[in-house]
Amino acid sequence: MRLAVRRASDGLVAMRALQVFLLATISGALFWLVWIYGHALRDPRYLDGWLLAVGMGLQIYFHIAIKRNSLSPKSAKRWRRVHIFLGYVLIAVFVSHSDFSLPDTAFEWALWTGFVLVTLSGILGTYLSWSLRTRHGVDERLSYDRIPTRRAELAQEVHALVVDGDPAPTLFALPELPHDAWIVDLYTTQLRDFFKGPRGTAAHLIASKRPLKRLTDEIDNLSRYVDEQGQEKLAAIRKLVAEKDRLDFARVHLGLSKAWLFVHVPLTYALVVMTALHILVVYAFSSGFW
Amino acid sequence: MVANALRDRLAVFLALATIVGLGAAFILAKDTKFLMPGPLASAHGAIKNCSSCHTKSGSGNLTWMHGLAPGDRLADSKACLTCHQMPNTAFNAHGVSGDILKQSTERLAKIAATTPAPLSARVQGAAFPTHGAGERGLSCATCHQEHKGTNFSLSEISNERCRSCHVVKFDSFDGDHPKFERYPFKKRTQIVYDHEGHVGKHFPEMSKKDATKRIPDTCSTCHNSRADKRVMTVAPFEQTCSGCHLDQITGKDRASGPKGVAFLALPGLDLQTLKKKNAAIGEWPEASEADLTPFMKVMISRTERGRALIKTVDSLNLMELAKASDSQIRAVTNLVWEIKGVFYALITGKASDVLGDLGIGGGAKLSASLIADLTAHLPRDVVVSAQQQWLPNLGTEMANHKEAKAPKQGGWITTTKESTATVDSDTATIPEPAARLAQAERQARSKSAAGPAVAKPEGGNETPSASEPPRAKAGDQTDDLLHPTEEELRAMAAPVRDALKAGQPKGAPANAPSKAVSDPPAGASAVSDAVQATSTTKVAPVIGIESKVDAESWAEYGGWYRQDYAIFYRPAGHKDKFIYSWLFLTGPQAPKGAKSPAAAVFNALSGKEAQGSCTKCHSVDDIRSKGRLVNFSRPSVENKKARFTRFIHEPHFGVVGDQGCLTCHSLEKGRSYLKSYEQGNPHSFASNFGAVKKETCQTCHASGAARQDCVTCHKYHVNGITTPTTNTKLPTE
Repeated sequence: MRLAVRRASDGLVAMRALQVFLLATISGALFWLVWIYGHALRDPRYLDGWLLAVGMGLQIYFHIAIKRNSLSPKSAKRWRRVHIFLGYVLIAVFVSHSDFSLPDTAFEWALWTGFVLVTLSGILGTYLSWSLRTRHGVDERLSYDRIPTRRAELAQEVHALVVDGDPAPTLFALPELPHDAWIVDLYTTQLRDFFKGPRGTAAHLIASKRPLKRLTDEIDNLSRYVDEQGQEKLAAIRKLVAEKDRLDFARVHLGLSKAWLFVHVPLTYALVVMTALHILVVYAFSSGFW
Repeated sequence: MVANALRDRLAVFLALATIVGLGAAFILAKDTKFLMPGPLASAHGAIKNCSSCHTKSGSGNLTWMHGLAPGDRLADSKACLTCHQMPNTAFNAHGVSGDILKQSTERLAKIAATTPAPLSARVQGAAFPTHGAGERGLSCATCHQEHKGTNFSLSEISNERCRSCHVVKFDSFDGDHPKFERYPFKKRTQIVYDHEGHVGKHFPEMSKKDATKRIPDTCSTCHNSRADKRVMTVAPFEQTCSGCHLDQITGKDRASGPKGVAFLALPGLDLQTLKKKNAAIGEWPEASEADLTPFMKVMISRTERGRALIKTVDSLNLMELAKASDSQIRAVTNLVWEIKGVFYALITGKASDVLGDLGIGGGAKLSASLIADLTAHLPRDVVVSAQQQWLPNLGTEMANHKEAKAPKQGGWITTTKESTATVDSDTATIPEPAARLAQAERQARSKSAAGPAVAKPEGGNETPSASEPPRAKAGDQTDDLLHPTEEELRAMAAPVRDALKAGQPKGAPANAPSKAVSDPPAGASAVSDAVQATSTTKVAPVIGIESKVDAESWAEYGGWYRQDYAIFYRPAGHKDKFIYSWLFLTGPQAPKGAKSPAAAVFNALSGKEAQGSCTKCHSVDDIRSKGRLVNFSRPSVENKKARFTRFIHEPHFGVVGDQGCLTCHSLEKGRSYLKSYEQGNPHSFASNFGAVKKETCQTCHASGAARQDCVTCHKYHVNGITTPTTNTKLPTE
């Protein structure tokens, strides 16, 4: 099993490396092509400009196809990969088109900002998707809508654990330390609120484990003073806390995954409008290039 | 699903908002500068309106859309020419004609066959070929791309850009750049200066002969590039060559032949034959042995008739006419009258009437200064005194001749017409009464039938020749008022004689130049001599004061003088305007081997023994179908136009070693340098110096050392670009 997981992981890394290599190669080839084009009595901005326009056209086609549901789930998944890869290639094309420099004038800035925002939102989406799946081990099958239900289940489970007392107490034994009372106290002061709703949104945005660590440290501290039964109970509670934290992380990131499209898609629409105007302006002021 | 719908609505809303925002920007903005892709280069920073360069963009916020309509693709480039003036070939590659490009390409194609092209050049040629890119015309923006910032260098051109068109594709100068071919001596220098001969022979000889002479000891004695860094100039004549060559120009060093240029002359004629053949030439000095000068040929050839005449007499030996046909004799007769007409016109009219309208110079009107140079301010008195000496009865003769020939065909009609009105006491030899006298003379002769005053043809046949002035018959005269008696004729002749005397130099024998008038034979013979077929007019001394200085020596430092039967001009020194202007004007009409009068002048002034010796140092180029050109102009940047290679000497002075100029220019012996100037093709040249080698340049211009990009040594706009002066109207109140 471990071997299979390692092989799968190695395959993923190799795939990633290949993609990066391909991306670097394509970008390098593009820069060189534009360079020799520019030195062949032509304006290189027309070459990389049209490459950029065609690339953007393909990206928009993907969006339209998704919206029309004209792609099968398998095709959609494949197209999504192409969409992401092409997006990275277009960054190189854009850098070439902007001549490795920042814009100077208002309209150029508007175009530049539009493209950069669309690109950044795209990168964010890609990162979120990768981060949920690989970095934080969130189950791919977990959907945003199921999180509240699962959270409620976890709250009930932890409550049940806390209130569950010793089934056979010794009647004539000497008085013992109130381990259960301590656990209840921990639950009352720390855990009940934690399981009550989504927590640590800000920390999850930056993938911070500090809130989780604070809770688990409390549990671990208490665990040293309770008996074996109490320790078992605290270990179970600790697991539930970790799962609740993962749920909170998934909620934040799945929410972001939904939200970034509210930036990416509308900005793309605006960028398309500005790009159309840009092409008109370029050809109107072409000074004999067409 | 709800989120998706919301997101789509937001997207559409943002797209619409973008459209509205851009629309508002177009409406509210003062201009369309917000569309600019970047600031203009510093040199263009003052341009405020887009339409100054983008000709179709107009001034409105939306008029730029006109640019989308197809039109003249070079329209914007033509706007560049408003400030950057270039020739008509501005949009050709390198701004040169297609023929030059074709020749250049053919030459370089041979080199390309042996030069390995780098990979990037091969890919570039295959993927983005430039064949035919220039056929539709290259717009300025092909290389000069604007809106790249204030500090952007618009004139920067990469090697790869040059390479994209050029057939020889190489990586760098120190790589596979072809070796130099005869650089820089593809065309001979304008000044004929045999370095080998001067350095090896003339200078040492001269220093032995005359120690005071300034002999150059370094190259920089004569050469410097201070005034014009692009051109290695030669110091002025006065600082260099004049020490040895000035006397050659002024004629001082001339051992034989006249030191001046014969300008006007009475050519020597075979008077005996002319008399024998009854040619009515009037008076003519029998002692003259002068040739008809080429200048006079030009003056006579200004009309169709004159040209035909010159063509005929050119084939004759005027001193030996025994075998001449009747028509040739007639031509000689006409030539005589043409020559007399020239003198007559020069005296009765203005010099510019004759010398300002010579029919040379391609029909263009000559400027006042050029006319002044062509005549070298010829003094009227020189002509007048010559006429008094050589043709004392010219006025009478011309009056008679005009009358007989009227209406005259061609010639100096204008001046002849004016003669009666303009002649005053200064022109004593050609007074109006003289004409009347001649008229009266003829009448007297016909009335009295007083013997053969006019030379009769041998055999007694008095039938006049075609060119002979017709003689009035007694029967034609019916009015006594128009038929003066002999006393009246004498009385009429008296003022003429007085006037003739008055026009002579003081001290001159009164009877000498005007013998025909002042010492007439009985009856009307004095005047009749003037219309005889031959005359016995002889040259008399001009001045009575004894002088050991002959006229030629008198004009030692240049100017006009008269000797024998010719008026000479002696060059005044270097840059003599007389010789320069005649060479300049006749050159274009004097292709090698031409027989025209203009060519005769050019040949006379540019020959090996020509006075002034201009062409001893100034080379003569044949200009295809445009005659010849004497290279008088100094080398300048203008002369360097249309050259693809440039070199500035100055920055290299600091890097040449002890050998100095010889580091690059090796003086080579045994070259046929002077011989290459014997023909007219300036490109056929054997320099005294060996060609500059690529290896010499490569010692510095190499990777990691001095620049070696194409435009270091080559220029794109070979004909240059000029910026015209701003048209500034004078301020008005």
